[in-house]
Amino acid sequence: MIHGVIAVVEHDLRVFFKYRFTLAGLISMNLADLLIMAVVYTRMVSFNYFQFLAPGVTATGLFAAAFVIGREVNMETRRGYNEYLLSLPLRRSELVLGRMTAGGLRGIIYATPLLILAMFILKFPTPPQFGLMLFAMYLLSTGISGLAITLAVALRGFERFTTARSLLYLFLIFCSTVFYPLTVLRTILPGSLILFAQLNPLSAVSDLIRGYLIGVPPVTAQSWTELLVFSGAFIIAGAGLYRVAIERSVH
Amino acid sequence: MTKILLVIERDLRSLMQQKSILLMRWFYAIVQIGIFGLAISRIITVMQNYYTYYAMGVIVMTMYSVAIFTGYEIYDEADLGYTEYLLSIPLTRRELVLGRSLAGGIRSLVFMAPIIAGFMFLIGIVDPLRVGMALVALFGFTFGVSGLSITLAVGLKSGDKFDIIMGALDAFIVRLSSALYPQAFMPKPIAILSTFNPLTYAADLFRWSLNFNIHFLANPVTSLIVLVIFLTTFNVAGVAIYERNLEGASWR
Repeated sequence: MIHGVIAVVEHDLRVFFKYRFTLAGLISMNLADLLIMAVVYTRMVSFNYFQFLAPGVTATGLFAAAFVIGREVNMETRRGYNEYLLSLPLRRSELVLGRMTAGGLRGIIYATPLLILAMFILKFPTPPQFGLMLFAMYLLSTGISGLAITLAVALRGFERFTTARSLLYLFLIFCSTVFYPLTVLRTILPGSLILFAQLNPLSAVSDLIRGYLIGVPPVTAQSWTELLVFSGAFIIAGAGLYRVAIERSVH
Repeated sequence: MTKILLVIERDLRSLMQQKSILLMRWFYAIVQIGIFGLAISRIITVMQNYYTYYAMGVIVMTMYSVAIFTGYEIYDEADLGYTEYLLSIPLTRRELVLGRSLAGGIRSLVFMAPIIAGFMFLIGIVDPLRVGMALVALFGFTFGVSGLSITLAVGLKSGDKFDIIMGALDAFIVRLSSALYPQAFMPKPIAILSTFNPLTYAADLFRWSLNFNIHFLANPVTSLIVLVIFLTTFNVAGVAIYERNLEGASWR
């Protein structure tokens, strides 16, 4: 079981580094948000927006990198590559677990330098805190990969997939505490969207990193529970749907 | 002239075929104005009407990204072997580039027209002269951006390089301009860089046309001159590079 999973993970990680142009675009976007936009906004608001945004940028980078696997799987589905994948001497569970693990690791590989940058800007955590932050990021990254893979196989058409990805991106990033505190969102969004923003795993990871690095908002058992529940739901749903969708895609 | 109009008509038709991408950009602009803009304006303490300022910036940014589309289409055409067909039709290269650049500007305007109209209605701008000036400013800018996009696409002849340069340009051009925040609040190095950015002048000229507080904007005469230089430079360069580079199958 482990051997098959490792082979899938290795394959997906190798492919990830071939997307150097996509990654360069992502890095430009994340760094421009932090080193230009946040620096200017800091001079226009009453708190240090640069420090506030550094953890948020880590979460958005993680999200975007974890979603890259969806684009790949979508291409594989359209080009009939799923038949080849299903013909490999691997169990379905190994394939699904391998791909989701690789998706999670890709997010971590991409976002760890952003986290280290945030640590330089804010403060260095203790080793256990650093481990917990990486664990939280891994949970989110794996959950997002699951979601991306499911959408990629279920929607098939590239345009439909990119449209769904953009919609998800808009809702998950803008209805979260990545760019602004929840107190601000409470003044502009209706109740249901506030609840969505509160339970959004991107908010959970941004706030957990803020909690460990600047102490605000404080890390509580509730923040971990929210992250575990929602990332867990994404992971389980993603794994189940991918398993069903990849078999249906070849019929 | 008729031939240029034919190119424009064809490019307008091809844009309408990209419905889902266009709808997403529309939706993106609305969410940026409706959520990000509202939220960020609640925490801005140095400007009273930042929300209006921001919304005007998002309109110009979105038009920029629609105008850039022309370059991607050139790659699609090269990919599909369509470039040879374009070269065989009875049009000069100059007519083709000018038609495409003009179409890029018109497409951006047509695409954003409902959002611009809705926004002007909301902020109470109905003076035809001001509306006309705002539209001319936007068209001039997007005409230049299409020229830039064509120049880069044909100059590079590499989809990967074009993609990365456009991605980086998109990230830095927007943030190193007054599209999101006034130059008055930028640290000096960022403010200096933003003065070399045509997006700064397009956004500020658009705001000036719509009667925004001039205290936060670049001088409108300077903006107009910069935009004219920008659109002339990149369309002339586009024509020159297109004429020299389009032939030959060296697309990557």
